Amino acid sequence: MAQPFLEISGLHKDFGGLTATNEVSFSMGRDEIVGLIGPNGAGKTTLVRLISGILRPDRGKIRFKGKNITGKKTWDIVNMGIACTFQNMRPFRRLPIIANVMVSCLSPRAMKRGEWVKKVEAKAMDALEFAGISDMALEKASTLSQGDLKRLEVARAVATEPELLLLDEPFGGLSPAETDLMAKSIARLHKGGRFGRLHSEGPAMIIIEHKLAQLMKIVDRIIVLDFGTIIADGTPEKIVANPEVIEAYLGEGGV
Amino acid sequence: MGLLGVYFRRTVGILRTEVLVLPSRVAVLVFIVALMALPIFTQDYYFLRVLILTSIFAIFAASWDLLSGFTGQMNFGHALFFGVAAYVTALLNLKLGLPPYFSIPLGAVGGVLTGLVVGIPCLRLKGSYLALTTLAFPIILTGIVFAIPEVTGGELGLAGLSRLTGSRVMDYYLTSGLMLILGFTMWKITDSKTGIILHAIREDELAVRTAGVNTTRYKLLAFCMSGFFAGVAGGLYAHFMRLAGPSGLEVGLSFQVIIWAVFGGMVTIYGPIAGVFILYPLMEILRVVLDQFPSLPEIRMFIFAALVLLTLLFMPEGLIPWVRDKIETECPRCKVRNVFSRHRCRICDAALD
Repeated sequence: MAQPFLEISGLHKDFGGLTATNEVSFSMGRDEIVGLIGPNGAGKTTLVRLISGILRPDRGKIRFKGKNITGKKTWDIVNMGIACTFQNMRPFRRLPIIANVMVSCLSPRAMKRGEWVKKVEAKAMDALEFAGISDMALEKASTLSQGDLKRLEVARAVATEPELLLLDEPFGGLSPAETDLMAKSIARLHKGGRFGRLHSEGPAMIIIEHKLAQLMKIVDRIIVLDFGTIIADGTPEKIVANPEVIEAYLGEGGV
Repeated sequence: MGLLGVYFRRTVGILRTEVLVLPSRVAVLVFIVALMALPIFTQDYYFLRVLILTSIFAIFAASWDLLSGFTGQMNFGHALFFGVAAYVTALLNLKLGLPPYFSIPLGAVGGVLTGLVVGIPCLRLKGSYLALTTLAFPIILTGIVFAIPEVTGGELGLAGLSRLTGSRVMDYYLTSGLMLILGFTMWKITDSKTGIILHAIREDELAVRTAGVNTTRYKLLAFCMSGFFAGVAGGLYAHFMRLAGPSGLEVGLSFQVIIWAVFGGMVTIYGPIAGVFILYPLMEILRVVLDQFPSLPEIRMFIFAALVLLTLLFMPEGLIPWVRDKIETECPRCKVRNVFSRHRCRICDAALD
């Protein structure tokens, strides 16, 4: 039997007395985009941080492409092909935007790939162009608006050329127009569009998001977390009809 | 003749298009030329001694900036690297009879190893915790130095090292030349790809990790590089003073270097160098001047403190960045720096006001 692309089994993390993720198990395929939703404090961000190695789980296993990555260093995980963005953006504020992305391009993984662009600067510009902020490449990151900071986050993650991209609220704080643009970029990235010159195929994704209407347009599958436990897992249509999800998260109004 | 002419014309060309267009670059050029030409005008023993020590401390201050300014690893015990390298140099010179051009590089290697020893336990620490831990290391070492006087010379230190070079003027050229070369090297490091990662680690270490960069390696690299440059300074100091003693490990020296660097302007490399070149000779001048008035109380440190405080009050970024902002403007479009008097950018012709 073929190995699942990402397999999570019994992942458990406590913060003091608080259980952030409670024996979470699921797996996903190479070409999937998975939406991760749930009320605030449900453990979505914790789950993503566990996968990307920022936090270490108390119990449970994470397997990526058949390899156990549980408890590995963040940079090793990134270099294996899992990139993540932060919900509250963490740019290098006093550095120019291009330098922000160059840090990702200087990672061993990015240096090994894309032989045809030798120059780190050119690679960084490519990522910025994908994110649509290449015209501001020389500005300091501290001058960016919220929306552009989100784009910078995505550009930084994409520049490591991931096979699995973990996006933590990519639409958070964006205007409707910006949200549309971001959603389009994400869909394009998954297909291996503009940035696909570097990728053989676009990355699989896990997207945490509260803007469900937008999210449902790009994902094939949604996982719902509540109090650290998966309460539903299925296609977007099934999820919005699920009574448990409606009670815990969506409310009677629906999407 | 033809070849020489080509080189001459090329040099003049670079001067005209790259150096003379910016006041800061002109200032650096004037500084280098003045430093190199100085012994032609005066060979005063005491005067050269002050400038030699200034050069040595300039290397030391710049090395602190490399670690604490650029990488953000706030080091309150930077004298450790200086002192260890001074002792290593002194021991190699006195016990093994190695000449300065071997003992100083090996002393700097001692600085690198010290950087590793300090860096590894400090990897997990940040901010004030890191600062306090680094503060402890030289104090611990001072205790060890006093505990084994047969090796370290105890309170008196190790004296009688061989001279740096044969003459004072040669000493001067060696130290100021090394200061220029090492300062330029450090500046180049901070401008390189490694430098970008060091910058980024200061801004947000976690974000650098999620960019796939091994931050542990780069932080240790910063500690080692800083240890190396501070070590060269320590070795030069030992050979020049012909003494390596516990004074090289003092808390006062660690704080002195921070004051110099912050006064000149952190995260610039040239700032701390300029800071030392202003403050250190100034203190010597004050000493000479105040000695004329023996009735005055000891107000040298007071003047020093007031000067530093006032500077930082009005120029929080430090003296040199403040001056630089006054005499140069950054082009809003291409980010190239221009003389303040220009109205259009010299590269992209965008309006500057």
